[in-house]
Amino acid sequence: MRAEALKGHLDGLLLAALEDGPLHGYAVKEALRETTEGRIDLPTGTVYPALHRLERADLITGSWSVVGGRRRRTYELTAAGRTALSGERAGWQEFATAVTAALGARQWPATT
Amino acid sequence: MAGHDLIAAQLDVLSARLPAQAVQELADGLQEAYEIHLDACGDPGQAARAAIAEFGDADTVTAAFFHHSPWRRAAVLLLATGPFMAVAWGATLLASHAWTWAVPLPVKILYGTALVTIVFALVMVVRAKRAYRRTRLAMVGSALGLIVLDGLTLTAIAITVSTPVWPMALAVPASLIRILASVRGTRAALT
Repeated sequence: MRAEALKGHLDGLLLAALEDGPLHGYAVKEALRETTEGRIDLPTGTVYPALHRLERADLITGSWSVVGGRRRRTYELTAAGRTALSGERAGWQEFATAVTAALGARQWPATT
Repeated sequence: MAGHDLIAAQLDVLSARLPAQAVQELADGLQEAYEIHLDACGDPGQAARAAIAEFGDADTVTAAFFHHSPWRRAAVLLLATGPFMAVAWGATLLASHAWTWAVPLPVKILYGTALVTIVFALVMVVRAKRAYRRTRLAMVGSALGLIVLDGLTLTAIAITVSTPVWPMALAVPASLIRILASVRGTRAALT
């Protein structure tokens, strides 16, 4: 899936990836890839600044730990993040319903 | 920390461009990707290349940090409001006959030069894609410069104009709001 197709939906996707519990940046990207069966596979390095932006917006919170001798930053949803995720879901379902209605099962015109 | 020279070289490039904490986080992710690919293929060179490809090259990663940076957004906002500020202050200066003020020519030249420099620096901040630290400093300088210029302009107006003119109702609040926006932009660039 092209990156531009994700415009406007990246925040919701990242929040959804964190819904089941705390993850570090690489795991967020992997979770996104796995849940979409590889259809959404962002360049990993571009996920981190998006997570930082969500953290600045208080939608997620990050904490440092040391794993295998490396410093690791792990993120989890805040209460505001869960609310935002619900909003993203509702908005997406409304949008998807409308687009499906417009583009979906339309009959080909009959040829006589 | 890095498991392969290619990974270390990639991190060196990113270290020269991005804040230390961001690079530490990227290093962890890059190393994790490398280890996963190494487990899968067993070839360190191939694993390192695959990890770097998965991450995106240094330009892609740096551009993403620029795109999501709060200070870049502040720079866009300051630039976007520039034409309105110019019209509001231009009208104020015309209505208050600013050409009759006893402002020394060097001060006018210095003010104009500073303003043009700030605009140029803000354009550079918005257009930059690689030099993250230098661009962040340019944002701090621009925002502080705007605070000083707006402060000087408001002070000059308060001292010089005895009878308020109507465009001041737009220009003065706009400058006060821009001072606040510049303070926020400076804080965003420093944190």
